[in-house]
Amino acid sequence: MHLQSIPLLFAQIATPDDIVREAARLQRNYEFLSYGLTIAWVILVIYVLFMVSRGRKLKREIASLKAMLEDRR
Amino acid sequence: MNEKSGWGDYILYLLGAVVIIILVRDIYVIARLPQEAQQGAIFKIIFFHVPVAITAMIAAAVALVASVLFLITRNFRYDALAVAVTEVGLAFLAANLITGSIWGRIIWGQWWAWDARLTSALVCWILYAAYLMLRRAVEEPTQRATFAAVWSIFSFIDVPIVIFSIKWWRTQHPQPVFWGGGSFPPDWKAVFLWNMLAMVLLAIVMTVVRVRQENAQRELDSLRRTAHAM
Repeated sequence: MHLQSIPLLFAQIATPDDIVREAARLQRNYEFLSYGLTIAWVILVIYVLFMVSRGRKLKREIASLKAMLEDRR
Repeated sequence: MNEKSGWGDYILYLLGAVVIIILVRDIYVIARLPQEAQQGAIFKIIFFHVPVAITAMIAAAVALVASVLFLITRNFRYDALAVAVTEVGLAFLAANLITGSIWGRIIWGQWWAWDARLTSALVCWILYAAYLMLRRAVEEPTQRATFAAVWSIFSFIDVPIVIFSIKWWRTQHPQPVFWGGGSFPPDWKAVFLWNMLAMVLLAIVMTVVRVRQENAQRELDSLRRTAHAM
């Protein structure tokens, strides 16, 4: 006996309710995939923005300290 | 920051641009791939979930080497590398834990399972977060770098546990595709490897930027000391 793929088997025995349920499952699957990828990217983008803001702050502080030291000299 | 690093900046921007191009292309390609037969579309999360995990583990290994080198040489360049790569690795591991949790909600019907892989990965994240907190708690630079290096070496003990937990214990987390007897179709494997490359390059760019910030922070501390002494 040959094993049939699940979608093919499903198509043979499915009732209209089953098809609606399966469509909802696939939709949910896509939704969660998009949530997962969005969250992964949001974490990395937030980290990059955090680094950019820290870099700017450091530059500003170094420049102001250098200027202050120049004045004192 | 360092004004002599013109070429370094160009290479960094170039690498960043390459990463963006690869990732945009990969997102397009992944969206067009067919659904996996058993799991459906959610399976495609593997193209990000696994590369960010491998990148985080590589980051932990680099942090270990840098920490050992700092303890041997007392050169602060290694300390800067260790903190930079740990912070970047932590961001990647967070992305890994969250994408895994979202996959688990669909496939297992629950957000989290306290199995060996998930628990050891969470412990790993907490250990490296503690590393960053420890650095904030110690004022004196040499003492801070020494304590942090020792903590980083201790934390690395968890990394092999994370990697091999799925082999050593029966876990709810599935066996790996490549290393557990499974396989990808060749075009899927190519996309996976491109994404892997993109993630590693992204981590390298982030680490270099972070190392520069750490060097700038040391310059700032030195300027502050000079200002106090005057």
